[in-house]
Amino acid sequence: MSGGPTRRELALLAAAGAATALARGAHGARTPPLGAAVDPDDLPAREASWYRRLAEGRVECQLCPRGCQVADAERGACGVRENRRGTYVTLVHGVACTLHADPIEKKPFFHVMPGSTALSWAAAGCNVECKFCQNWEISQFRPEQVPARWLPPAELAAAARRANAPLLAATYSEPVVFWEYVRDTALAARRIGLRTVVVSNGYIQEAPLKEVLPLLAAVKVDLKAFREPFYRDFVRGELKPVLRSLETIRASGTWLEIVVLLLPTLNDSEEEVRDLALWVKTNLGADVPVHFTRFHPTYRLTNLPPTPLSSLERAWRVAQAEGLRYVYLGNVPGHPGENTVCPDCGATLIHRVGFTVRAAALEDGRCPSCRRAIPGVWS
Amino acid sequence: MTRKFTRRELGALVGTGIALGPRALHGAAPAVGAGGTVGVAPLAAPAGGGALDPTAARAALERALVAATGKPTAARAVSALFSPSDTVGIKLNCLGGPISPRRELVEALAALLREAGIPGQRIVVFERASRELARVRYPIRKNGGDYLCHGVDNDYDAEPSTSGQIGSCFARLVSTTCTALVGFGVVKDHDLAGVSASLKNWYGVIHNPNKYHDNHCDPFVADVVNHPFVRGKLRLTVLDGVNAQCHGGPGYRPDAVWPLGLVVASTDPVAADAWAWRAIDAERVRRGMPTLEAAGRAPRFVATAARYGLGVGDPAAIREARG
Repeated sequence: MSGGPTRRELALLAAAGAATALARGAHGARTPPLGAAVDPDDLPAREASWYRRLAEGRVECQLCPRGCQVADAERGACGVRENRRGTYVTLVHGVACTLHADPIEKKPFFHVMPGSTALSWAAAGCNVECKFCQNWEISQFRPEQVPARWLPPAELAAAARRANAPLLAATYSEPVVFWEYVRDTALAARRIGLRTVVVSNGYIQEAPLKEVLPLLAAVKVDLKAFREPFYRDFVRGELKPVLRSLETIRASGTWLEIVVLLLPTLNDSEEEVRDLALWVKTNLGADVPVHFTRFHPTYRLTNLPPTPLSSLERAWRVAQAEGLRYVYLGNVPGHPGENTVCPDCGATLIHRVGFTVRAAALEDGRCPSCRRAIPGVWS
Repeated sequence: MTRKFTRRELGALVGTGIALGPRALHGAAPAVGAGGTVGVAPLAAPAGGGALDPTAARAALERALVAATGKPTAARAVSALFSPSDTVGIKLNCLGGPISPRRELVEALAALLREAGIPGQRIVVFERASRELARVRYPIRKNGGDYLCHGVDNDYDAEPSTSGQIGSCFARLVSTTCTALVGFGVVKDHDLAGVSASLKNWYGVIHNPNKYHDNHCDPFVADVVNHPFVRGKLRLTVLDGVNAQCHGGPGYRPDAVWPLGLVVASTDPVAADAWAWRAIDAERVRRGMPTLEAAGRAPRFVATAARYGLGVGDPAAIREARG
């Protein structure tokens, strides 16, 4: 279970403001004072934005491809949306269970404002169940089971400004399940000149994705594997809707990066990596960065060793050989696979060690040696 | 989702359950009663609603226990199922508000346990959250009184545990504190699972039940009960069938509630569900509604539980013993 807020979190929460207005939401729950601990017995409830009513008081969620049909008093698979007498409500709007000021490289985004701070937040819950989830203590629990603070969108954006973070990042758990919170925070951030990025599994219906994409500076999608059986057996989700989301994001013009967590023997074969790289090149283009990251045993998948470096390096080589221009390795601090290299002249443009940018040579988004434009959100 | 049972499933429903019955459930505890036996005793709801008469509630519960176990008295039945050294957890299902186990029946069971030598401090009436108990007027207390009464309230094991297809953190009350368990549910329709009576009630002891409602909760319900934390400790199932609900569950739906007028007890948790399924279907047919099978939500987890050896799952194979 996640513990209470850290000193840094408390400071950030305090910076969010000390206003103590109490308001009563549309669905009975009271909203607590800003920054205050949320009462698990009285979660603030707000009508969800993407659902439809069915006969006999049931509802159908239209947020993620699961399309949960939910009876009165029940919740969807995400555990954060509840049918209250025919009205579907989200229980995590403004309910932040995690808040950290992280380097953007930690998300990881390697082509988005290198070295910048992203005020990163999460609400409890997830719409899939990866057996290898690194953040299962918040993603696989319901909101009343995870300590959280009341931090509505405008205050969250204001907290980012006070923390000198030019970016907000919805991350850690699964932003799809708190999509209204993401949307409203991105709007609030935009009003004060900040940008919002999202780290997601991409398992979302097209309409809510398209609705929020224009508000986002970048999206990183965790592509769990390139095989449906893996999604079925280890994710309890589906690959096809994720691929559709990747295409939708790319077509929208919002910056996209992809992360693939390589699990030894399960999704790291040369053939699968080649298929994945080929699909990315064909459908998204060779400029989309792909990060292959190292797995560490956790949650329900503790019988596997960490991903061997040889497997990561093989994926790195295969993806490059298939024509992807920006292929990275993650969770291997100091490896050259962390660096951004000009695909034309081979100059090292950004030198990274772990989440730290050691040197950045880009000039106006171009290689200083050959002047090639490097795609990304650089300023 | 309206397929018929396969021959293998039918075989599992009848054969496995009868062969193993509840004996497999009890571990070191003595086997009591026959697998597939469900004891029932009449108990009418008071005219105009309100609380049950405690004396009548206790008498009905005793008759159901005697019928379920074949013991001459309820005291003997309870003594055969529980040891004075046990810490007994009684898991209620209060999600349905007005269609929740009535306090008079639960307190009658707690009294029987105390009379069997188990002190009130080691009788824990529980639900997922204290607020769910408080909402239906149970007294929340972690100390004192004739029994303890509180929610799991997020006190789960720190690490998940796997059983079949589920991977969950179990309530520490179930994994660690209690040595014996009683499922105390209701007779209720469930929109996804089909039936929420005996086995489905145990979803309330894992941290992530919302993850396991696909495929009408099959095999997930059976997987939860088949975990040693539950399977190794579950001694008795009681259902408050004074009123029951044949449609629209798990939430309360007054127009689907009917006065079943029974208290139900069984040492076979699968048989209790099969019996509840039969009772719900009978009422649905009486009202001109499709059966659960015809409605596309037969509780297939019952067959799976029978195949696991948790009890008898075929409604036709259930023996109803009247008390």
